Amino acid sequence: MNPAVGLFAFLAVSLATAVVGFYGLRISRTTGDFYVASRTVPPWWNASAIGGEYLSAASFLGVAGLILLSGTDALWFPVGYTAGYLMLLLFVAAPLRRSGAYTIPDFTEARLDSKVVRRVTSLVVVAVGWLYIVPQLHGAALTIRITTGLPSWVGSTAVVVVVCLTVVAGGMRSITFVQAFQYWLKLTALALPVVFVLLVLAGNGSEPRAPLPINPTGLAPAGAYQHISLLVALLFGTLGLPHVLVRFYTNPDGQSARRTTLIVLGLLSVFYLFPTVSGALGRMFAPELAQSGQADALVLLLPGKLIGGVAGDLLSSLVVAGAFAAFLSTTSGLVVSLSGVISQDLFGGSVRGFRLAAVLAAVVPLGFAFMTDTLALAGSVGLVFAFTASTICPVLLLGIWWRGLTDTGAIAGMLTGAVLCGGAMVLGTLMGAGNAPAWLAQPAAWSVPSAFAVTVVVSRLTKNRVPASVNRVMSRLHVPERPVATER
Amino acid sequence: MTRVRVTAPRQSATAAPGRLPYPREVTEDSDAGRIFIRSLIRSQLRLALVVASGFLIILAVIALFLVYGPGVAETRILGIPLDWLVLGAGIYPVIGLSAWLYNRAAARNEARYRDLVEDK
Repeated sequence: MNPAVGLFAFLAVSLATAVVGFYGLRISRTTGDFYVASRTVPPWWNASAIGGEYLSAASFLGVAGLILLSGTDALWFPVGYTAGYLMLLLFVAAPLRRSGAYTIPDFTEARLDSKVVRRVTSLVVVAVGWLYIVPQLHGAALTIRITTGLPSWVGSTAVVVVVCLTVVAGGMRSITFVQAFQYWLKLTALALPVVFVLLVLAGNGSEPRAPLPINPTGLAPAGAYQHISLLVALLFGTLGLPHVLVRFYTNPDGQSARRTTLIVLGLLSVFYLFPTVSGALGRMFAPELAQSGQADALVLLLPGKLIGGVAGDLLSSLVVAGAFAAFLSTTSGLVVSLSGVISQDLFGGSVRGFRLAAVLAAVVPLGFAFMTDTLALAGSVGLVFAFTASTICPVLLLGIWWRGLTDTGAIAGMLTGAVLCGGAMVLGTLMGAGNAPAWLAQPAAWSVPSAFAVTVVVSRLTKNRVPASVNRVMSRLHVPERPVATER
Repeated sequence: MTRVRVTAPRQSATAAPGRLPYPREVTEDSDAGRIFIRSLIRSQLRLALVVASGFLIILAVIALFLVYGPGVAETRILGIPLDWLVLGAGIYPVIGLSAWLYNRAAARNEARYRDLVEDK
């Protein structure tokens, strides 16, 4: 591929992000706009923004790569990523919006009336955020290496620099506009090349080199345990992701939080059709990528391989732009929510502290990214979901629906989940991919129930610590807001 | 227009001017209010659990059918193998439909609660 193509696409998407950021900045000036952009942001924009932030490197590159590698087994990933939002809608969306909390630590502190719970939640949230940023940076490294031939570190460093600059400069104040723009950019960047490739293939009537169900790598299909564990992780991990929660705050009330989530589900369903088709095309026409370990680069290489020429270059630059939109939007969303948490708990919540925290939030995962190797992107993000599902999910679900939750129970549950799931991740990494047994490689199926059980049992044992405010908080979470005349 | 620095989350953000976060006539301070709120929470939880388990059962049935269903491996629709079609596209409408049904029922539960409260 022409190296200038990748570079140009990266610069263009960074510039576009900055332009949309500053244009939006001029619209949203007041505190009210900043926090409750709701009154100026229609649900469609809001839903696009949620989709834009959620669709990360794993969705943009990883899903197609994994489908190329393992075929129908990998189709469970996009199903899980989408169904996670269904669980979020059912159990979390409206109550969390009504809680008025801006971050997960805010929520646990308000619900359990305890500073210690807040600190522990903050630690877990920062861990989740950092773990989630690392695969984004791996994706950026891979994209830059494949498309420009520059060394890997250039890609991850470039993403961190752009994110730090925009967040520190305050350009992300209009984050809703930027994220919404990036959803549509990502969708276009995946859909157009797929449509063109299909048209070209239909036009020249080329025969697939391998029929669809054939497995180009010869990897064994995953067993039932892996499927179940993966689905547990994805279904219950989504609702605890720190950057997803912040976005729900921009809905005016609980009902509209539900409506927005419904639109998000539609947007995700449409989006995931395209990596699926890309993966299937890759299996039929480019199976050699699976053997050469470049599976995650499939969507980047497909237009060049199957179309070629100027059209191929143009489509490739579009895909690269979409990929960087994915890295930038998810990373900046995570950095913004992490620096909110870090600055409040560490630097007393000043603006200077927020900027310092933003740099900290972005630079630490960069170090991790340098030290670790690129795993399959969808797989490593799947592990982050398992960690979230084992730590934040029990506290959030039980906090919203069960009066009996206590601060001691919440802390015990989060620590149990963190130790079990984190331990499995470390052990699995030490043993190396492929050597670890299934129960260690996919810990969610046992670490999530254990965390729930410990939370409930310890809460029961410390019944006297149920906060006095529980009735007030519960009714705040669940009682519908007064209908506004303009809404009906 | 002045620029305002926002440094900490404000719990009051839900309370937009002229609108209360929830009806004050019946609050957790009265016995009747407590019962209404408890039954609202219980019905919302029941609804969420019913939709979630319904969806998971459908998912399990689909997964089992694709593995053990007779002739699934050979079936093709428009040249696309059935398992690719079902997993790659067919599950998404089920997710969307579950979400839509849930939204309607949840809004109905809330409307019923509001009617109860406003009767007082």
